[in-house]
This record gives sequence, structure tokens and C-alpha cells, in this order.
Amino acid sequence: METLNLSVISLSLAFLLFIVPVALSLVFGFKLIKPLFYSSVRMSIQLVLVGIFLKYLFQWNNPFINLVWLAIMITVAVFTAVKASAIKISRIFTPVFLSFSIATLAVIFYMIFFVIPLETVFDARYLVVLSGMLLGNSLRGNVVGISTFYKNIKRDQKKYLYILSLGASEFEALLPYLRESIQLALKPTLASMATMGIVALPGMMTGVILGGASPVVAIKYQIMIMIAIVVSTITSVVLTILLTMRVCFSKSGVLKQDVFNKI
Amino acid sequence: MIEFKNVHLQYAGKKVLQKLSFKVREGEKVAVLGKSGSGKSSLFQMALGFVNPTHGKIFFDGILVNGKSSWKIRKQVAYIDQDVSLGNGKVSDIIDFISALKANSHLDFSDGKVAGLSDFFELENGILDKNIEELSGGERQRLAIIISVLLKRNIFFLDEITSALDKHLKKKVADFFVEKDDWTAIIISHDPVWLENQSVKVFDLEEGKWKL
Repeated sequence: METLNLSVISLSLAFLLFIVPVALSLVFGFKLIKPLFYSSVRMSIQLVLVGIFLKYLFQWNNPFINLVWLAIMITVAVFTAVKASAIKISRIFTPVFLSFSIATLAVIFYMIFFVIPLETVFDARYLVVLSGMLLGNSLRGNVVGISTFYKNIKRDQKKYLYILSLGASEFEALLPYLRESIQLALKPTLASMATMGIVALPGMMTGVILGGASPVVAIKYQIMIMIAIVVSTITSVVLTILLTMRVCFSKSGVLKQDVFNKI
Repeated sequence: MIEFKNVHLQYAGKKVLQKLSFKVREGEKVAVLGKSGSGKSSLFQMALGFVNPTHGKIFFDGILVNGKSSWKIRKQVAYIDQDVSLGNGKVSDIIDFISALKANSHLDFSDGKVAGLSDFFELENGILDKNIEELSGGERQRLAIIISVLLKRNIFFLDEITSALDKHLKKKVADFFVEKDDWTAIIISHDPVWLENQSVKVFDLEEGKWKL
């Protein structure tokens, strides 16, 4: 089954639906018109450019270019995740980059080697597309994970120091905060996993079905990708917190105040 | 022995402590006097390695307090902060958390031991089942005192630990600490129950001198 192509006119008709949020914003004063315009223009330009780029990326299918593109994707994900936290990017870029890279690459290569398995590990069609899905989810998890972890310790500064004074090691004192952050970071992923198929048909599955594959194949890929998402998200959040701790806490275990952005 | 040697502390551009030097010897009970904001609580924060002095040094049994040594020092001190920052949740959960710490695993945190101390400090029965949020200021202070005793340490940093207690309990708590010859205690308080005790030496932080 061939996927029906969308003409420019058809896409314009899709944009016509924006009348609804624009009207709602005007009636209720949501002030959403400008951000809506900005976001949709940005989305369209980015997707058109990426579409063109991916076309060539798939054509060339050069392992080196694929890996460079992957590194760019990870860098953008790291910048976005750290920017949303209250921590200075200059302090934690390297540890977060490491954690995203380790978590994403380990899971992707496992899937490509053992689960699919592909003959060419660096195949752009799999490597780039699957990494994008994992990074998007790791990004969301890390935004929640990093923010919750550091904000809660900052909020509980006195209690945290009291725990240290009781003889706790740094890890013992931080473990309750690590647990809380991981649970919160994983919550949206686990919730969407639990309702998958009934409440929502995820993007990847929809794409594969629209692309002409059978729903059974789409479901198998979806299960694989959800497992990969959970594993890479939890790994990257745990690694991010453990690796950033090295730079955000002093030798005596105190959270450095100069790692936070000035408000 | 705890020694502050020519310690200066600047905080947010403000000079909090200047040229502070004094020693507290083993077994001594020292009350530190000073206005609010004079850096009293910072003394404990610095001795525990939570805050670094801007200038000067602090020694703990001859060992310089720094990032590395502070972990060992904390295992020898029982510290109660001014706000009694015990966190939230059930009292028994907090006691369990503290007793599960590797540094405290050899200590007796049994219900019987807690009950005995609760009885002595006149805390009502069933304190273990209560939530921290339900406790009054005085109950929280006594709970923090009980925890500090359970830690079985010989050095005590006590920051305003009797402020929310009635006269009778203030005396009971002060006597409890002062009577232990082998315990060293630095006490931040303006309470006469400490200051008028013959066994307590008084150090005036603003003047940087011992009061005779």
C-alpha cells in the first residue's frame, strides 16, 4: 500500500485549523497567537530542512556522516535539557553529554545488533531515526530529573546538611533525592506506556502504518522502541545526576551555589 | 580540641567574622554569645566543613578542617541546628533512616532506647508514631536532642536547643549535657540556664574574648 502524498495545498488546509486556537486566544485573551505563530513557523522550517537533509543522509548512508549527525542531535538535546534546568550549562555540559551519549548509543547498538539485527550497524534509516526517538524522551526525562534533584536539595539545604552531620556519606544523603527525581522523570514515560494502543497510537507506529507496513510489524517495532525509551531514559537520568554531582558538590559534600543560573 | 585560628568569614560581601581565635578543650562546655547575624551558627558550619572560612584555619584534634577531613569529623560530632531540620514524615522513619546510615550501623536505635530517652526528656508516649509536622517546637528540640544522644558522640554542637522549652526542661537539658565530664559541648544560646552555670565558660563572639 502506497502512502498518499500531501500537496502544499493540503498542508495549507491543515494550517487552516489554527483558526481554532487563534479564535480561542482572541476570545479569552490567552496571548497565544505570537508563540503559536513562532513555534509553527519554526517547526515547519526545521522539518523541511531536516526532511531535505535526511533524504541525502539516507542516500549517502555514510557511517561517519551518520555519527556526526548523531553527535549534533545529542548536543542539541543536552543544551535543551540543561537550559530548562536551573544549572549553568558551562558547568554540566560535559557530564550530561557523556550520559546522553552512553545511554543512547548503548541501547541503540543493542537493538541494532541483537534485536533487529542489522547487517550495517550505522544504517542511517535506523541509527538516526531511532536515536532521535530515544533522545527526545531522554531530554524530557532529564529536564524533570535534573531540575527536581537540584531544586529539592537547594530547598532542603538545612535538612541535607543535617543528614551529612549525622555521619551520612554523600551518596547516602543524596539517595532519597535521586530516588524522587528518577521516579518523577520516568512517570510520563511509564504512564504513556501503560495506556499505549488504547489512548494513543504513538508517532512511530502511526508513521510505520502510514508508510505501508502491516500493523503487526508496527506493533513489534513500537514495543521494541518503548523498551529502548524506558531503558535509555532511566540510564541517562541516573548517569546525568551521578556525573553532574561530581561538579555540583564540593569536596565536603555541599551543593555549590555558583552552579545555579542567576535569576 | 577544637581550635579557631585567626578566622575571617565574609558572606555576600559582608564581614561576618574577623580575626577570631579561640580553643575549646576536651570536656569543656562553652557557651557562645553574640547578636543575631554575628556569625554564631557559622562557627558550627565551618567546623563541620559546610562553609569555608574566607581566611584562617580551624583544627579539630589538630587536624585541619577541609573537604577531605570534614567527613571524618562529622562522625565524631552531634550537631543540632537552630531550626531542628529533621525534614518530614514519621518520627520512626527518620530514626530508621539515621540508624541505617553506615556510620551509625553499630549503634543502638532500638525502640526501647528511644522510649527510655523520651521518658527522661518528658516526651509523651507514642512519639515514634507521630509525624514531624505534628510536633511542637519544644518536642522537635527534644527529639533532636534524643537523636544526638543516640549517636553516642562525645562532642556536641548545640545551636539554640532550649529556646522552645519551659524553664524546668531547659534546666534538665542543660544539666544533662553539663554533667557529663567527658562530653565537650559548644552551645549557642542566650539562655541564663547555660550562661549562669558555673561549669560553662562563656565566649563573647563580638568582642572575640572570654567573659569572666
